[in-house]
Amino acid sequence: MGAEIAQVTPLSPQQDGGQPRPADRARPADRARRGDGVLPDVGVLPVLPALRELLPGGLPRGSVVAAGDWSLLCLALAAGASLAGAWCAIAGLPALGVAAAAGAGLDPGRLLLIADPGAGWPHVLASLLDGCDLVLLRPPSQPSAQVRRRLEAVTRRHGGVLVVAGDWAGAQCRLSVARQEWAGIGTGHGRLRARRVQVVADGRGAAARPLSRWLWLPGPDGAVTAVSAGHGEPEAGGGPDIGELGIGELGIGELGIGWPGDAIPRRSAG
Amino acid sequence: MGRARGAARRVLAVWCPDWPPGTPDSGPEARGFEQVVAAVEKFCPRVEVVRPGMCAIGATGPARYFGGEESLARKITDAVTALGFACRAGVADSLFAAQLAAQAPGLAPGLASGPAPGSAHAAAPGPARTGAPGRAGLPGLIVAPGGTRAFLAPYPVSVLDVPEFADLLPRLGIWTLGDFARLPAAEAANRFGAPGKRAHRLARGLDARPLAPRQPSADLSVHVDFDPPADQAEPVIFAAKTAAERMHAGLAARGLACVRVQVQATCADGQDITRLWRHAGLLSALAVAERVRWQLDGWRAGRDPDERSPGETALTGGITRLRLVPDQLVRAEGRQLGLWGDAVISDRVARAATRVQAMLGHAAVMRPVLAGGRDPAEQVTLVPFGDSGTPLLPAGRPWPGRIPAPAPATVYPVPRPARVTDDSGTTVTVTGRAVVSAPPARLSADGGPWLTVTAWAGPWPVNERWWAAAVSARRRARFQLVTGDGNAWLAAVQDGGWLIEASYD
Repeated sequence: MGAEIAQVTPLSPQQDGGQPRPADRARPADRARRGDGVLPDVGVLPVLPALRELLPGGLPRGSVVAAGDWSLLCLALAAGASLAGAWCAIAGLPALGVAAAAGAGLDPGRLLLIADPGAGWPHVLASLLDGCDLVLLRPPSQPSAQVRRRLEAVTRRHGGVLVVAGDWAGAQCRLSVARQEWAGIGTGHGRLRARRVQVVADGRGAAARPLSRWLWLPGPDGAVTAVSAGHGEPEAGGGPDIGELGIGELGIGELGIGWPGDAIPRRSAG
Repeated sequence: MGRARGAARRVLAVWCPDWPPGTPDSGPEARGFEQVVAAVEKFCPRVEVVRPGMCAIGATGPARYFGGEESLARKITDAVTALGFACRAGVADSLFAAQLAAQAPGLAPGLASGPAPGSAHAAAPGPARTGAPGRAGLPGLIVAPGGTRAFLAPYPVSVLDVPEFADLLPRLGIWTLGDFARLPAAEAANRFGAPGKRAHRLARGLDARPLAPRQPSADLSVHVDFDPPADQAEPVIFAAKTAAERMHAGLAARGLACVRVQVQATCADGQDITRLWRHAGLLSALAVAERVRWQLDGWRAGRDPDERSPGETALTGGITRLRLVPDQLVRAEGRQLGLWGDAVISDRVARAATRVQAMLGHAAVMRPVLAGGRDPAEQVTLVPFGDSGTPLLPAGRPWPGRIPAPAPATVYPVPRPARVTDDSGTTVTVTGRAVVSAPPARLSADGGPWLTVTAWAGPWPVNERWWAAAVSARRRARFQLVTGDGNAWLAAVQDGGWLIEASYD
């Protein structure tokens, strides 16, 4: 297994700027089989620019990434590949907000939703991996070690990427949210504008050294962006400063009528 | 075969009290009546279904063939009773009279289960036996030719089933159909208009309109029998390919194509396993065979004892019959993909999606279509893979008051009940003028642990579709709440209770 992973050496972000690179590193067998795919035939699926520092190599084909129970983080992981033209399947997340997925960058036109994969979900997952480049799964039940290894082998064979919303013992990479702060909302005024999140990535092999980055997850328009360098670490105890996003300029007027915001008389606001 | 002008026209109505008059025309109840119609069709191919529970045939021809009206009525009622449905028959000169004759109470000792208690006609006072009453043993009534007007005369005008007449005519001193029929036809038409003219024809024992028989539809399905039962999938798939070719040839001969195919496999133990397959283009014979393979594979996977979910249908004892039924016929016009704009689904994705559909069912694999609407839950319409659908609420309209971006990442299909209290533990309420009783301090979703509310905004009142009070009207006051664990929620107060609509996790 390790040998196969080593063959899809991560591309450094400086080198390729996140663009899929000619398939010089993909396995020949893969290249032949993937000829009908929509994505250019490379060994990695691209990720959003905001996630490039956390996942310097993108998402290597055949790998498993665990992203905990943070729905938007899972969607952000899948968004890069979807933007590049890959088909994504989302299984076991019946309450997924498709509008949020679209905001994060997933193309709803290339999305398959399987709300309930049922008790035979390993079969379903294997079928989905055959057709889709990326599968986001919340396993309905904890798989046995044998089933888990078999599914990892299926993922490698089909050259897909499995993003697990939850934990997965054999994941090559794990992402988690360490801290989160909402911006734009007060006690009785404002509204949810953006969330600043510290995401920590660790894993095996090349990803063994934990990396941590601050992201807007989501940003004010639903997109996922990196918190700019000057504002990387919010001062301890201080509330998030929404001025740095330029949200202050958006004003309440852009929301249009019918979203009255603070215009409602309130007897006992904070 | 024509009928001499003026010759008595005879109608036989079959009434099944199992279907009360209010039964909707579509739906499973109405489809159950198909069995009765099929049984009656054996006697006369042109059956008119009046409503679920009542159908009629022209009786003149069949009566000659089956040895008289009484014999025909007896044969039909026996055939329907054999299916397990209570049934009565009535024969008269008009459809209206035949229906009443079929429902005439208390004439047939042979009728085991009486007329449905909900039937308005059953409560009507028994008419005098002016026609030839049914003989003992015949569940039904035969009104002699020419006796129809006299048969109808004692019935109250309410049987016309025109609400305004049921009220108006008695006030004019017209209580029975006989009274009404005595009015000159022209006067009835003058005074009561077209409905009055129709009702007057009915009261005189004529037909308000000629019988409109339903055409028996040609059976376009094909089937293959396996003897001995096929244990392996391969022979079934091979046979499916030739069967699909035959089905397509049969359709093409009529200039038709089908959008869906129903694949029905019958197992040796009598179990039927059915799946509907749809394809945006035409299903070629190979494509049908491939779908049969997926369907069988799906059942095989379901048969694995360690991985089968309870209640799942499983293949048992080999397959004895495979039947392909074309569904949703369209005129064969060929199909051309748009040069631009059509989302092209690669074969690889389609194959994977269809295979999952074989395992979980057609509606298990959905494609989202972004829609309009104000709720986060409304803003997406799910369409089964392979179907095409347009959202009910169009996207791209302003939708003032919709939840602004960023959208919540988790939208509960059914809002979760919640409790939100203020500092003193009292539930927070919102007045009709959108005034909050107290700042929300604590939140418990679905009876879960209490979380401290660290930030909140709202209320944003929503009063939607007030004009459709019974269907979809809604008054809500929305809040955004941030709790101590860092999660943010979209909550709403409706009818004094708190709901969590979505979570920004």
